[in-house]
Amino acid sequence: MANEGSVDARTAEELLRRFEPVIRFTKGEWFYPMDCEPYVDACSLWVARPNEDAVCVVPAGELTLERLAQQPEDTTGAVHYLKIPNPKESENGGRRRKRRSHTNPDWPKETFRAGRGRLARVGYISRLADALFSLTLLARGRVPGGDVEGGRVLYGRYMEEGQRFRYHGNVVRQDGWIVLRYWLFYAFNDWRSNVFGANDHEADWEKIFIYLSESESGEVRPEWVAYAAHEETGDDLRRRWDDPELEKIGEHPVAYVCAGSHATRYFRGEYLTELAFPLPRFLSAVRRIARRFWYVTLRQYADEDYKEKPYEQFTIPFVDYGRGDGWSVGPGQDREWDPPRLMNPVPSWVSGYRGLWGLYTRDPFEGEDAPAGPMYNRDKTISREWFDPVGWAGLDKVPTRAEELEVITGRQAEIEERQDFLRSELREKSSRLKTLGMAAEATRDQSHLTKLHETQTRHIEELSREVEALREELSDDEVLAETLKSHAESLRSGERPPPHAHIMHATRPVSEAETHAGRVAQLWASISIALVLVTLILIIAYERSHLLSALVFAIAVFAFIEASFRRRLARFIVSVNVALAVVGALVLFEQYFWSVIVFAVLGIGFYILWENLRELGR
Amino acid sequence: MYRQARLLGALLILQFLAMVGLGVWLTTRVNWDRALDITSGQGQFNFQSVEGPWLKALERSIVFDVYFLVPMILLLLSGLGFVLLRRRGWMLASIAQSLIMLACLFYYGDSRPWFAYPLIAYSILMILLLNSRSVRAAVQSRRAAPVGTRSEVAHGE
Repeated sequence: MANEGSVDARTAEELLRRFEPVIRFTKGEWFYPMDCEPYVDACSLWVARPNEDAVCVVPAGELTLERLAQQPEDTTGAVHYLKIPNPKESENGGRRRKRRSHTNPDWPKETFRAGRGRLARVGYISRLADALFSLTLLARGRVPGGDVEGGRVLYGRYMEEGQRFRYHGNVVRQDGWIVLRYWLFYAFNDWRSNVFGANDHEADWEKIFIYLSESESGEVRPEWVAYAAHEETGDDLRRRWDDPELEKIGEHPVAYVCAGSHATRYFRGEYLTELAFPLPRFLSAVRRIARRFWYVTLRQYADEDYKEKPYEQFTIPFVDYGRGDGWSVGPGQDREWDPPRLMNPVPSWVSGYRGLWGLYTRDPFEGEDAPAGPMYNRDKTISREWFDPVGWAGLDKVPTRAEELEVITGRQAEIEERQDFLRSELREKSSRLKTLGMAAEATRDQSHLTKLHETQTRHIEELSREVEALREELSDDEVLAETLKSHAESLRSGERPPPHAHIMHATRPVSEAETHAGRVAQLWASISIALVLVTLILIIAYERSHLLSALVFAIAVFAFIEASFRRRLARFIVSVNVALAVVGALVLFEQYFWSVIVFAVLGIGFYILWENLRELGR
Repeated sequence: MYRQARLLGALLILQFLAMVGLGVWLTTRVNWDRALDITSGQGQFNFQSVEGPWLKALERSIVFDVYFLVPMILLLLSGLGFVLLRRRGWMLASIAQSLIMLACLFYYGDSRPWFAYPLIAYSILMILLLNSRSVRAAVQSRRAAPVGTRSEVAHGE
């Protein structure tokens, strides 16, 4: 178990409060971090067994955190889940919003505005895919619209009792690090229904981790932070504490939470988030071959450096709004944190309840299913961020600052020891090699010793290879030792590697120019899909005699307009040229099939001849 | 770097000259005496009376000029742009290749003249050359994007 040491509750709370984050929300956010207890108290507990209707295990009003932990293991494939009460059922069909009574809270105070340019940021394919994706929700499991209302009522009542903001804190030690884990619980993820995003689900657990190192005197120092965004893991998640791009207020890191999805970001802004679907294997293979041929064989230009992808994906872009123009929660802000709900020691509702924290929709993509608690994945396995918080942010290969020099010294000693061993091996083998060399020289051209000479030659070859490998290893170790020495010196003098050195792909908000598309572009984006469909229908109905030409012309015109609005004219022209070049090549191939074959064979023949003549000339 | 641009310019001008030559050659094949005679005599064409092989040559010459006039101008401008201004003209050259390929494919679908094929072949080579990494690097200043910036992939949560 990687959680090598838990921290006592008092120290945990002190540390959590000392570094607790400042969280800035987007204007129009409906749900803020809350204590999970009132949520559980209001929910009912259900179990869905395979091929059976879901059964209510504990009705709303009778469930508590303690009771939640006492659910027995069920049959294979059974899923326990919480369910937010539907206000329509509980209020006897009372109409929402229009008649807000004491049971229908006046919440939220304001609604989200996407602003101009949202649709203008994605192309036709994405707009069409977006529409199809919405249609698939009819077939897939989805969170019913009434559940958003249920979440609103539940959270509204909670806020009307007194605006309270709370996180769930847990502190652990792992691999020399002290990890402060801030778990943020939201009653609902309303990204799809209120923010034009990809999904909705009841309950949302998000997290911010802060990694501290501890000196010998017991003084702690923050070194890294990691903000969770969707299901990202690894090096790209974390930022170094002294990174100038990491916003801080005193000892409190600042995070921007995206509206609806509650993904946590380092920068204020709007993010293009792609929902990825794997392509079928056949299409994936075709696309990979075509890409390789185009970019590697033909050395064609790419906007980004070409990289072989292990698998190809089809992506639908959505926008994540982390504007930071709404409420700000944290020390010294308009809204302060309540004392945290401590998870040191780990409470039974965390370890004992493996079910989902909201509606289980049986969505095959899981996007509409509620998440499991802090400790578990949806499939009931223990989540990595729980059992390996250091590895989750890619810190398992990074020593704490206090350990850095110690690690280098240890490695240097290892290398020295190894070098001694290698040198003695090298001496011994070199000496044997020389002896063998002399023996082979003596037995050369002696007909009665031919076999012995052959054996000696073979041994010499083997030994030479071994000696070469040893020399190479020794040389590598010498270079490594030198590098470690200079790195240790620079660390001693207080130098640090660049703060972004570990980041391969930084997630950044889209540019201002993209955010503020013009009115005409926005209007075009709104009407374009409908216009394309109408045009296609008109062509099919009235231009059947010139169907192909009319379709090509119409598609070209639409694509040209779109490319102009999106400032991608160059890319569009290249795409058209590539398509025309492919058609042109097919025309030439069809017309000059045999000539092409003859020239290809002649070309290969001349190439081989040229290579052979070059070899002859050397 | 500038050598690449000049070479590209030279190839574009060569393509322009070849097309001008082709246009001139097609024009010289038209029996202008007959054409002028008919137009001046009657004041208008009577297609039934002028039916014949020379009409095909006239039609081909006119169609060639109509289809290829704009791309030829673009070729000349982009070619001169690359040779004289060193970096300008990539977009014009690309649009010219698009128009040439489109015209050739229309030609191909219609009367299949022999000269469509070398034009297609040359255009394909120019398209590949225009979009090759070395040429794009030479003629376009790459947009300075922050290292590794990307959109993020979400899976659900």
